[in-house]
Amino acid sequence: MAKSVLIAEDEPYILESLMFLMSRAGYRVRAERDGAKAVAAAVHSQPDLMILDIMMPTLNGFEALKQLRATPGLEGLRVLVLSAKGQEADRRRMMALGADSFVTKPFSNQDLLAKVEALIAGPRINAASESS
Amino acid sequence: MPDYTTGKRIRDRRLAQELTQAELAKRAGISAAYLNLIEHDKRQIGGSLLGKIAGLLRTDLADLTGSVRQRLASDVLEIARALGTPDVDTVRAAQFADRHPEWARIFIRLHRAYRDADETAIALSDRLSQDPTVRELSHTVLSRVTAIRSFAEILQQHGDIGHSDRERFTTIITDQSDELAESAREMITLLGGSLGEARPTSPAEEVDDFFIHHGNHFPSLEDAAGELRARFERQPGTLGGQIAERLAALSEGTNGREPAPPSHMPETTVRFAQARRLVVADLPDALTSVIDDDRLTTEAARERALRAVASYAAAALLFPYESFLETAEQARYDIDRIGAIFAGSFEQVAHRLVTLRRPGAEGVPFAFLRSDAAGNLSKPLSITGLRMPRYGGSCPLWAVHTAFAVADRPVVQLAVMPEGERYLFIARTVKKRMAAYGEPPVTFSVMLACDVAYGDRIVYGDGFSAARTSLETPVGHNCRSCRRVDCGQRAYAPVMLAGGETQGTVAG
Repeated sequence: MAKSVLIAEDEPYILESLMFLMSRAGYRVRAERDGAKAVAAAVHSQPDLMILDIMMPTLNGFEALKQLRATPGLEGLRVLVLSAKGQEADRRRMMALGADSFVTKPFSNQDLLAKVEALIAGPRINAASESS
Repeated sequence: MPDYTTGKRIRDRRLAQELTQAELAKRAGISAAYLNLIEHDKRQIGGSLLGKIAGLLRTDLADLTGSVRQRLASDVLEIARALGTPDVDTVRAAQFADRHPEWARIFIRLHRAYRDADETAIALSDRLSQDPTVRELSHTVLSRVTAIRSFAEILQQHGDIGHSDRERFTTIITDQSDELAESAREMITLLGGSLGEARPTSPAEEVDDFFIHHGNHFPSLEDAAGELRARFERQPGTLGGQIAERLAALSEGTNGREPAPPSHMPETTVRFAQARRLVVADLPDALTSVIDDDRLTTEAARERALRAVASYAAAALLFPYESFLETAEQARYDIDRIGAIFAGSFEQVAHRLVTLRRPGAEGVPFAFLRSDAAGNLSKPLSITGLRMPRYGGSCPLWAVHTAFAVADRPVVQLAVMPEGERYLFIARTVKKRMAAYGEPPVTFSVMLACDVAYGDRIVYGDGFSAARTSLETPVGHNCRSCRRVDCGQRAYAPVMLAGGETQGTVAG
């Protein structure tokens, strides 16, 4: 069965391009445009990986990640954080909260796909060892 | 004793003019042998003979005695310290100023330009990190770019996508490009219009810029005020009496735009206001030609500038340049003492001291700043190295603020900046009008600041030894740009720390 990816992104066109890319790569894709709904969807659908934007309505990426990591049953969920804020402090904060990878906008489709593939294929590793 | 002496300077200037010792000696009325001794520092020279030789060599006393060089050297040294260059000492700075005075001046000008740019960068950084509109716009721009890039890559890398998808993605790219252009225009309007060229936003700031650009020194106003004063001095009676008489004569005709000062003002304020009325009435051309300046873009700014240059001319009239500078030097810049001699208030004297920047006859370079009790700053004038707060709040540890706790006497502070530069701050509260029952007093704190290198020339430097650090007050410019993270007075988190990292919390 195909692996599943949940995309939490409020910008409609970025969301559309991500959905296209993930579908094309053979993943089952589900999308949400606000943080709270994205957390609920993660709990409900148990995706293999989540692409999480930081700046989102209702619940920002930091809060969403905190809730996800505190939710039993989601221990295996890989989280790739997508952010318009390329600041090192954001990256470190997200990594400390339990993100598995961090990609800044504007991203290269190929790089993003490579990271998604690597995260899904391998075991969930400690966030701190990420270097991107 | 520095190696470049008055004798050597005379010799260099003489040779530059292609004069023989015999020729110069003859014109100066001394023997060639005596001039030879002077040039080889075997005889001291001063007084009228030195003045005469300076005239014959078409230079001035300050050039021959080396005070021009000393000023250049101390400016160079100050800048070198500000840039954190430890191996430049007094001797090397003096050598540079001596051998290459023009380059030294260019170096100083360059540093001023750099400092202005630095201030703009801090202001921009403040603006970018704090302004929600800028933040929102940046986010929008980045989102558009992300969508455009992603769809462009899809079109490029996925040759097999269907016709309708292809059309849709192309349309998205076109639309997003249009919106990106619109966001960019908004960004340019926002930044370019207000900060891109460090354009001041208020008439007050325009006038501040105008004064900073002129180095707070207007030779034409000094000359015009000097001529006016000379006219009065040819008449019998005191200057104050002359001014009052002239104003009375004027009031019979069409009195100028300046209203008479209210009677409850302190005497020094009344006198100054009279002098202002007089210069407005008698020097209209000199005042208006000075403010004919592109930096003053609005009528409000020009009116404000006119009032400010009228005050400048009034100060030049009441406190004539040469005698004021001489008195200041003799009194070692004791502001109250100078005020007693010239019948000027603390603020008037302090402000006049800052204007003593005539090339070749400069006083100690001072910065000036005024604050009200709420910390609203006005009249900022910088000196080399010391940035006067302007775009954000200032450091609450500066004497200009702490002076409010000490009424009616100067507070002196040896302030150390985070980068290690040391300045003497002299601040005092001043009352702009006498308090009457039921009327709130109008109080300001006025501050002068100079590099601690001038400490021995000013009375306020006494007691602050270069070697003792116990009297130092560690300060910053403002919280946003200050690296002293453990400061008890910190009100805001610093914008940027080393390595561009943003501090996320505010220290208690």
